[in-house]
Amino acid sequence: MASAMTDLSTVNNGKGRMLRLSLRRREALTALLFVSPITIGFLVFFFGPLIAVIGYSMLQWNLLTGEATFVGYANYADALRHNPDFWRVLRNSLVFAAGLVPLNMGLALLLALALHRPFRGVVFFRVIFFAPVVTSAVAWAIVWKFLLQGEAGALNEMLALMGIDGPNWLREPNWAMAAVIVTRVIKMVGLNMILYIAALQSIPRDYDSAARLEGASGWQIFRMITWPLLAPATLIISIVTVVGSLKVFDHIYLMTEGGPENGTLVLAFYIYQQAFEFFAIGYASALAVIMFVIAMALTLLQVYFRRKDRA
Amino acid sequence: MRPTMDTQQATTSDPRLPALEFQNVAKSFGAVNVIRGVDLQVREGEFVVFVGPSGCGKSTLLRMISGLEDVTSGTVSIGERVVNDVPPARRGVAMVFQSYALYPHLTVAQNMGFGLKVRKMPAREIESRVADASATLKLDALLDRFPRELSGGQRQRVAIGRAIVGNPRIFLFDEPLSNLDAELRVHMRAEIAQLHERLGNTMIYVTHDQIEAMTLADRIVVLRDGQIEQVGSPQELYLRPDNLFVAQFIGSPRMNVFDIDKLPPGVAAQLGVPEGAVKVGMRPEDLSIDPGGRGMPAVLRMSEYTGGNSLIHLELDGGAPCLIVHHGQTSPPEGTAVHLTLDKGAVHFFDANDTSIRKG
Repeated sequence: MASAMTDLSTVNNGKGRMLRLSLRRREALTALLFVSPITIGFLVFFFGPLIAVIGYSMLQWNLLTGEATFVGYANYADALRHNPDFWRVLRNSLVFAAGLVPLNMGLALLLALALHRPFRGVVFFRVIFFAPVVTSAVAWAIVWKFLLQGEAGALNEMLALMGIDGPNWLREPNWAMAAVIVTRVIKMVGLNMILYIAALQSIPRDYDSAARLEGASGWQIFRMITWPLLAPATLIISIVTVVGSLKVFDHIYLMTEGGPENGTLVLAFYIYQQAFEFFAIGYASALAVIMFVIAMALTLLQVYFRRKDRA
Repeated sequence: MRPTMDTQQATTSDPRLPALEFQNVAKSFGAVNVIRGVDLQVREGEFVVFVGPSGCGKSTLLRMISGLEDVTSGTVSIGERVVNDVPPARRGVAMVFQSYALYPHLTVAQNMGFGLKVRKMPAREIESRVADASATLKLDALLDRFPRELSGGQRQRVAIGRAIVGNPRIFLFDEPLSNLDAELRVHMRAEIAQLHERLGNTMIYVTHDQIEAMTLADRIVVLRDGQIEQVGSPQELYLRPDNLFVAQFIGSPRMNVFDIDKLPPGVAAQLGVPEGAVKVGMRPEDLSIDPGGRGMPAVLRMSEYTGGNSLIHLELDGGAPCLIVHHGQTSPPEGTAVHLTLDKGAVHFFDANDTSIRKG
């Protein structure tokens, strides 16, 4: 490391003479070298495809015939103006996000509040709630498909014991949406729980002691001290969860394939269908760009509210 | 309406009653006994300092007064009331934490008024109390700042201000100065002493710094391993320590202690060793190099110049190390053979159990 830095101090200026760089320049050069692997990776694997997708989105491109014609904004107009499917799908995505995000974050926070301080068995509970996060999505979906079956499903059999006639969860549009949201929350809540636990553990315990001494109730401590101090964590968690919920694909693909009656057909799955089932690459690319813009807008909105909140 | 802090108790309580009393108080965490049978009375308006080495239980004792730790056995009383089961906020105490525990997202004024706000005090009264406290502590200009915008000393003052606004009967300080640099510590020490003089409340102060203890306290409680070793005024502890631990803990630099049977020949006889004494203690500031060559023979090993005086490390005949405070700008070179004399009144004798033996 030291020798690498020393080596940077002299650079051949092309005329055979070694050029001495100032310390600042040398440091800047070192820094650039350090960030270059991720920068190059970002450019090649993220920024490149993003530009390509924007380019594709302006083509009428049939993957089977290989024909591609430039159509300008036609694909966007198609999605936004002419194709009613798009709005249906977007609505589904927003319903999914509106159901998943508060449920996931609320539950994660509750679990974190219960599990952030050490007690006997705390690790056991943390593992229980985190385990689904690292479980294979395929296994998770298969198990839940069994549990949620209409007649022989374990959930309905349990409900039957209580005299409740459960619906065919994955076959009725509204129930199917609720079912994919809840099963997704159960699968992913552990991740946000861990993030909230880390944030809670970084709050000094003296705040709690001081507030208790001053007569604050548990709820007041949470509302006036803990929750405001969790704001940075909440921002990150909400961005990740909102964007994650918009991008949900595997879960839908494995549990409902967008059905029934397109009741769970969300944006990411719709894009997949358009691109790889109907081979409408141009249209799918336009949809992908729209999804990117929505996710970016929601993220900026959250950052804006957080800033406004702080000011 | 939530009950407000017992703000009026300080004025209405009987001054003859102790402000605070521990009766045979013990505390254990699992199998570990942290406090082992503490009895103590603190008078109204007294400044009492708990001092002792790390892990002696002084902070635990303080947290037991506040109610942040419960009591395993025995009773803690504030005024005439046993408070073992009284929640922290209703004990009439306020605490200044070592970390200050200022809420980072609230301004100075909001931090100071937090306790009043959660007690649903009217906003106008909160404002006036915060204004009073901030005037006392010269924080007026900082009320709209956030803790991150303050210096260490200012944060410390805000923490004290937050304690003052609740008008508590007892102030608790948990090593409040240990995060400050040396100069500021001396300054804040003086401010806390002045504050006590002005407010007149009972204050309990925890520190491991015996200089802080000596300068601030009306009475010092020396703790070791969860037990009280001695309670007394700074002077009492310095002049008449009950045992070897207190003798060595109070006073800086610490007292020299020698085994009597290892003293240079003839010295024991000169000291007039009482019966049962096995150790003798002499404070470095009571020993001096005798220009006439009388007293305990010793060899100078090292000298540390500190400005006004020097700390001289010597070796007595027989090998025992000895430290003295030498006044003046010059000290003899290393290896010099010298003789040490001392004021006889300042000799401390200890028996085989390290308990002091008082002569006469």
